[in-house]
Amino acid sequence: MTVLTGILIGLATGIVFGFVLEKSRVFEPGIIVGQMQLRSFIMLKVFLAAVITGLLALAVMHGAFGVKLSLKPLVWQADIIGGLVLGAGIALAGACPGTSLAQIGAGYRDAWFVVLGGIAGAVFYGYFDASITAYFAEKGAKVTFAELAGYPFWMVSTGLAVVLAGALVVLERMVPWRHEVGANVDGVLPADATPDHEPTPGATRRA
Amino acid sequence: MPSLSDKAWSPYVAGVIIGLLQIPTFLLMDTALGASSSFVTVGAHLAALVDPGVGQIKYFTSHMAGAKNWWQVAVVVGIAVGAFLSMQLSGARRAAVSGIWARATGATSLGTRAPVAFLAGFLMLLGARIAGGCTSGHGISGMAQLSVGSTVAVVAMFAGGMLVANLFFKRV
Repeated sequence: MTVLTGILIGLATGIVFGFVLEKSRVFEPGIIVGQMQLRSFIMLKVFLAAVITGLLALAVMHGAFGVKLSLKPLVWQADIIGGLVLGAGIALAGACPGTSLAQIGAGYRDAWFVVLGGIAGAVFYGYFDASITAYFAEKGAKVTFAELAGYPFWMVSTGLAVVLAGALVVLERMVPWRHEVGANVDGVLPADATPDHEPTPGATRRA
Repeated sequence: MPSLSDKAWSPYVAGVIIGLLQIPTFLLMDTALGASSSFVTVGAHLAALVDPGVGQIKYFTSHMAGAKNWWQVAVVVGIAVGAFLSMQLSGARRAAVSGIWARATGATSLGTRAPVAFLAGFLMLLGARIAGGCTSGHGISGMAQLSVGSTVAVVAMFAGGMLVANLFFKRV
């Protein structure tokens, strides 16, 4: 494939991705910090809905048509230490690497500094990649839960999709998403009102 | 039905659409959705302008050329364009800094937010490159592939985020 074709496919994919990140409000610092403080669950809802859809798409693509997976290796120390540092950065940024670009598109100015810092962090890592991977000295196998369990991929992925979908139904009953977006759709809720202290449905109807 | 001019869509509609993007990504690009390695591609090209030694470092050179690397750079640029279009259609314009920061950290201006934002971005990509992926690559894509390593990284990511948001921020 030519680089130009890749860029055109990437732009089309990214525009749809960015459009729905903005529509779902999941790119909002208020939603991401709110998720980390368990005051809002919109990030988890978007995340799990995307995972469930991906699980079902791959159950068909990989399970039935043999489309090759694109797995990352299990490297315990790197996954845990890297994940912790990444999470700390996400909380401080109120963004993840992808949503920081959505914040720029939507107009948040501080997101430009997140992206600049991100480029600096990626370059810093690049210079030390050889020493960091040598320090961890992990070989890392590309392993799935289906292989661990000894069942076919499609069976485990479909089963997990059903379980996660059930969890989302319960979560949405407990915390309806319309109560979490906030009046200015930025996830900033009245200071005294957590989503679980919203008026009851009856009270909303009277108002 | 969700309309293009709505300010907010159901998180489930958005999540399903993001998940469906895996189909063209796997079929056309032979990879999964991701975002963080594009920062290496852009950063390596910028670093190469000032440091000729970049061309000797395998991690950089493996991210600098080819359709897959530039595809991901195009994805993240597209994310900004898509969010801009959605915001224009709905009129949900944003201030320079989200109101959440005044509550969480007391930062009300771009000047006080900018240094923290830069440090945050630095940590975010340093961590993502150590772990080999971010919320997209390890999260949305790794978990959809039942990857054990990605699930470990996602648990650590939420743990790190929850620690910082609860230890260092006021309740939002």
